Amino acid sequence: MSRVELLTPEGLRIDGRRPAELRKITSTTSVLSQADGSAYLEHGNTKVLAAVYGPREARRRAQVLHDRAILNVEFNVAPFSTGERRRRTKNDKRLLEMASFVKQTFEPVVITSLYARSQIDIYLQIIQHDGGTLQACINAATMALIDAGIAMTEYVCACTAGWVESEAAIDLNHIEESSDTSEVTIAMLPKSGKITLMQMESRLHVDKLEEVFTLAGEGCKQIHEVIDKTIRERAEDLAKKMQ
Amino acid sequence: MTALESTSPSLAATSPAFTFSASTFQKLHPTEFFRKFASQGVRPDGRLLNAFRPTTVHYGVITTANGSAMVRIGGTTVVCGVKAEVAEPKLHTPDHGYFVPNVDLSPICSGAFRPGPPSAQAQVVSESIDRVLKESKVLDLKDLCIEEGKAVWALWVDVVCVSYDGNIYDAALTAVMAALANVRIRKPTYDEGVVKVSGAEDMNDDNSFKLKLARTPLSATFALFDTSLTVLADPNDSEESICDGSISVTLDEHGQLCAVSKVGAGSSSQSLLKQCIDRTRERATELRAIMSQQQQ
Repeated sequence: MSRVELLTPEGLRIDGRRPAELRKITSTTSVLSQADGSAYLEHGNTKVLAAVYGPREARRRAQVLHDRAILNVEFNVAPFSTGERRRRTKNDKRLLEMASFVKQTFEPVVITSLYARSQIDIYLQIIQHDGGTLQACINAATMALIDAGIAMTEYVCACTAGWVESEAAIDLNHIEESSDTSEVTIAMLPKSGKITLMQMESRLHVDKLEEVFTLAGEGCKQIHEVIDKTIRERAEDLAKKMQ
Repeated sequence: MTALESTSPSLAATSPAFTFSASTFQKLHPTEFFRKFASQGVRPDGRLLNAFRPTTVHYGVITTANGSAMVRIGGTTVVCGVKAEVAEPKLHTPDHGYFVPNVDLSPICSGAFRPGPPSAQAQVVSESIDRVLKESKVLDLKDLCIEEGKAVWALWVDVVCVSYDGNIYDAALTAVMAALANVRIRKPTYDEGVVKVSGAEDMNDDNSFKLKLARTPLSATFALFDTSLTVLADPNDSEESICDGSISVTLDEHGQLCAVSKVGAGSSSQSLLKQCIDRTRERATELRAIMSQQQQ
C-alpha cells in the first residue's frame, strides 16, 4: 500500500483541517429516557453515546465500599461502527483497557464519598468510529455524569494530538491515527489545569512531546468551552421549564 | 389488595394513613394502577388502547456501514447497521450469499439489562427476525453471489438498541428492513481467486448496486392484559412487565402474513387474532408511509 499523504504542501490535513483545528463537535444531553443521565457526542464522524445509571444499589455485595461509591465503566463498540466489521469478541482486552482508562480518569473527579455503599455505572457505546475514541468517550462520560447530577469537582475534557509528518496536529481522525503517527491522549481538568490521564502508545521524539502536549491541552480547553455551552443551555432550558 | 386502594373514598376518609399519591400507588400495585386506566379505555401515557406510539425512521445514519437506519417508536430507539463482507459460501449452497441478523440489548438502553452475554430476549428477537427474513424470502441470496463456490457477500445485520421502552421486535424489524433498503454495495470483480472491491471513488449506480427486496415485512405487537380481556397495541416497558402475553403479527405490503406469534399465559381466541391482524394491516400501512416519506 502506498503511503498516504497526510499533509498537503499548503499544510492542510487529509480532511481539509489546519493542524491546530478540531473537528466539529456536536453534543446534547438527556437523550435517553431510561438512563439517569445521558449524552450524545460527535467529534466529526466519531459518534459516542454515554449513559449513566446510578448511584444505585451495587450489583455484587462483595464489591460494596462502605465509605464511597464504586464506579463501573462498560465499553461497547457497535459492530457496524468501524471500517471492518468487528468480530464479536467477549472481553476484548482493548475494550477492557479503554474502560479501565475511563474509570481511572473519573475516579479522582467524581466525589464518590457522597454516595457510600452504592454503584455508579457508566455505559459507553461507540456508534461510529473515526479516530479519537478515548477522547470522545471521556467527554461524553463527563456530560452524562453532569446530566445525571452526580457531584464532580470539575469537568474532565480529553483531547488527542499527534505528530503528523512534520507538524503537531490535534484531534486525529482514523486515517491519521492508523498511518504510523504517534498519538497522545490527555484528559485534563480545564479550570485547574491538572492532568488526570495521559496516554501514548507509540514512538515520539522527546523534544516533540512538549509541543504535542501543549496542543492537546489547548484542545481540551476548547472542548471544555463547547461542552460547557451545551450543559449550560440544557440547564437553562430545564430551569425555564420548571418555572 | 383492596384495603390499599387509594381511590376508595370511604377508606381514604376513615383512615388517612392509607392514602398515598398516584405515583406511589403505581409503584406498589402496578397492575391495579393500570387496570384503573384500562377500564376507562385509556393508558397511563395518554394513549388509547389500540394506539401506537409516534414512530420515526431515519436512513443512512451510519456512514461506516453499507446501509443503516435509526427507528424510534416512542421511547424505544434502535440503530441498525448492515455491513457487507466478502466470505466463502457455505458448502451446500455454493451460489448463495448469507445474512446474519443480530440484536444487541446492551445495558446502556435500560436499567434492567445487565452486562454479559446476550440475554434470552435478545436472542429470541434475533432469531425471529432471521426466520422472517429467510422464510418470507425477502432477499434472493443468489444476488449476493460473487463467484460460485468461491466468494459471496455476507451481510452482517446488527441492531443496537440505544434506548429500551418496550416493543423491541417491531422496532428491530422496522430498522432491519429500512437498513436493508438503504444498503449499497460496491460491485466486486473476481479474478483467479482474488476478489477486488474498489474503494476510492464515490458510489454511484455504475460501480455499486442496491439490494432487491422481494417484500418488506413489517410487524405490530399487542400485549394481552388481564388474560386477554384487554389488548394493548405497542406496549411500552411498564406495560410489558404487567401483561400476561403478547401477539406479534408480521405482514408484507400485499397484506400477506409473514409471521404470527403468540406467547405468554394470556389466552387468545380466533376473533381476537383477527382483530389484531386487522389492526396490524392499518399500522403497517402507516409505517410504510413513514418509511417511504423519509426515503426521499
